Amino acid sequence: MNNMNTQNSDARGGVPSVPGAAKGPSKHLIFSLGKEEFAVPVAKVKEIIGMLEVTPVPHTAEYVRGVINLRGKVVPVIDLRLKLGVPSVEYDERTCIVVVQPEMAKSVFLIGVIVDGVSEVMPVQSSDIEKTESFSHGLISSGYVQGVAKIRGKVKILLDLDCVLSQTDLQQLM
Amino acid sequence: MSVEADLLTWIDSLIVETLAFSPEEGLPGGARMAALAELCAKISPAAIDLEMMETAACAAALGRQIQTPGPNFSAVLEEQIERLQTLADTELSARLSRQRVAAGGSAELYQDLSMIGDFIGEAREHLEMIEKELLLLEQAPQNPEPIHAIFRSFHTIKGLAGIFNLGSTRDLAHEVETLLDLVRNGALPATPSLVDVVLACADRLGVIVDCLDEDRSGVSVVLPDNGELLERLRNEMMPPDEDVVVSVVAGSGGGTVEVAEVATSKRRGESANAHVKVETSKLDYLVDMVGELVIAQSLVQQDPSVIQLGEPRLGRNLSQLGRITTDLQKIAMSLRVVPIRQTFQRMQRAFRDLVKKSGKLAELELVGEDSELDRSIVEQLADPLMHMIRNSVDHGLEAPGEREKTGKSGTGKVRLVASHQSGNVLIEVSDDGRGLNRAKILKKAIERGLLAEDANPPVDKILELIFEPGFSTADQISDVSGRGVGMDVVKQQIQKLRGRIEIRSEPGVGTTFLLRFPLTLAIIDGLSVKVAGQRYILPLHCVHEIFRPVADSIYRVSGNQEVVLVRERVVPLLRLYQMLGRTPASTDPYDGILIAAEMEGRRYCLLVDELLGKQEVVIKSLGEYLGTMPGVSGAAIMGDGCVGLILDLEGMLSRESFNAAA
Repeated sequence: MNNMNTQNSDARGGVPSVPGAAKGPSKHLIFSLGKEEFAVPVAKVKEIIGMLEVTPVPHTAEYVRGVINLRGKVVPVIDLRLKLGVPSVEYDERTCIVVVQPEMAKSVFLIGVIVDGVSEVMPVQSSDIEKTESFSHGLISSGYVQGVAKIRGKVKILLDLDCVLSQTDLQQLM
Repeated sequence: MSVEADLLTWIDSLIVETLAFSPEEGLPGGARMAALAELCAKISPAAIDLEMMETAACAAALGRQIQTPGPNFSAVLEEQIERLQTLADTELSARLSRQRVAAGGSAELYQDLSMIGDFIGEAREHLEMIEKELLLLEQAPQNPEPIHAIFRSFHTIKGLAGIFNLGSTRDLAHEVETLLDLVRNGALPATPSLVDVVLACADRLGVIVDCLDEDRSGVSVVLPDNGELLERLRNEMMPPDEDVVVSVVAGSGGGTVEVAEVATSKRRGESANAHVKVETSKLDYLVDMVGELVIAQSLVQQDPSVIQLGEPRLGRNLSQLGRITTDLQKIAMSLRVVPIRQTFQRMQRAFRDLVKKSGKLAELELVGEDSELDRSIVEQLADPLMHMIRNSVDHGLEAPGEREKTGKSGTGKVRLVASHQSGNVLIEVSDDGRGLNRAKILKKAIERGLLAEDANPPVDKILELIFEPGFSTADQISDVSGRGVGMDVVKQQIQKLRGRIEIRSEPGVGTTFLLRFPLTLAIIDGLSVKVAGQRYILPLHCVHEIFRPVADSIYRVSGNQEVVLVRERVVPLLRLYQMLGRTPASTDPYDGILIAAEMEGRRYCLLVDELLGKQEVVIKSLGEYLGTMPGVSGAAIMGDGCVGLILDLEGMLSRESFNAAA
């Protein structure tokens, strides 16, 4: 399996990427689910790898695909489509696992997020961002979306990873 | 720092020498006088070197006194030495902060973060020692030996606090030191109230150290006000009868004091053999990496292309590599185990406080303190053990009057026993109290809706009901035990450490909790199996036999329970694919393999598709996100790089048995 170990967290290049800080552009990773493009701050992204064998874990929610071996560390992997409530698709050669480190109170851990494809890293200016009130996107729960950025004519949805990955409904009893 | 350290050592020696002093020896030319003179002669120039002028002057004056002792020499001697000590402390601290300022730092609280870490570590060690020795002193107040160790520890903490400019802390330590000095001179007896005050001060120092630990930058640390403690200390120092002569030197106890000093320093010398302090995170990482090394090494050794080469020399080298790796692993594993002694000793202190508060009489017996356990288990055991001891003292043990009525001794007994048994560690928490009331438990369970009204569970199942959430048979919520933080929490804590808890009780006789833990949390002997296309690992210690089902040995009985006839025993059949929620290629049990296993004292047969092999695996947790999953105790990185889930059969079963009630 492919292993594009793009260490995006190092691509910050001195730009302060403190979440919420509105100073200057912060770099974001752009990935796609179907026709929609999403953006997450590069500071949270640790690695991007190609799709590989995921070991399923019993009695977990449907969007929890299982766990993988990331250089000796056991990392859980979730299907972002299913987590956002969007129907899932067959994985193909473009499918990637984006390994992120969300900010949770008191714990630090890695989690892999399956996306359809990854396209680029681009700076996002706070001036580009529109709050979602003025923009409706029915499919996705508004809690997950921090806003929308319009760059070069295309719309990217800014995803609040910490919110998406908060563990409310994690364990499903059989 | 060596000149400063020497100086302090010499002053300490001065004190020691004068302790064993008796008035007749106050004549010039005596051996002890010569020793004192020598020390003064060393101290004075050293102090001058360090620009500690007052100290130097005091030492010089003392030297002169020794050469020509005047009247009331011993009193003067004592006074001068105390003055010398005070001056030295003050001037040394001042000197250090001057140095810091000169080096560009601020004379404020500590700058060097790594050094404060050392202070915290050392202070904690000393506080632990203090507590232990205080408890010994309390139990045998006539034995003066612990006092010296306690005094030294407070003295050291005082010194450290001084160096780090922790004024209020230093003052507190100094006051305690003064009090202890009176005790060790025989001027004050070690009464229970005195021990209480000193314990309280030790606790306060512990709190201070914790505050410092929390915020190591030091700038914003708010330390508690010690006024009340200082009051109590001063009260202790004033003996009830005013005409007690505070003798300057421990005249009568001269001989014993010296011996005791030697004894304690010898004891410390023993334990001071070549130890290093290592951050536990580094240790854990090391153990983890060694685990990975083992896997990588076996990957290479078992690689088909390597085997195909058929090179004998390569084969020998690989075997050698294998042997070295195995040895390395054994050592790494041994780094993780520590004796349970420390945890047990924390229990002693807690026990004492509990018993005092409860007004009952009880003693704690500790057995097997040397038993070794994985370090993380030992650390996390403290909480559940505390709970159980609390329960024993609070609810289990009867009041002395009640006990005597039933022919028991007025003093209740609580035992903590640690031992090894076939790859596991066994910990027993038992009391000889009133035992558990089964009828009461049953009643409460029905009241709480845990059981149906007419339920009639077997006797040995009733006791286990106390592990259900929200259960508590305490009539009052005592402030000692808290709000029904019940046995369910204890059980969870134990299970988190991959342990088991059993309970035995007899009314009027007592209650025993049996805890069982694996020797190490890091590695498990596993049986690799395939179920519905996925690989899983079963803990080998549960497995008795593996076999193909014999024709017509599988039946269905009462309701829907499947059973297997195994050597004329009827054993329940569990289809693993069902428990794992997966669909296999074939659901016909005769196509698969049966594994006879024993869990929680009962036998089961597990149905799997294929047997893959037996291997030792390094257990990794599933991580924070997934947390603890019922039925899965962890994950392992298999030889081919994939993750294999390690099944927790007992966990899976307990879910099943409560679901079966539905």
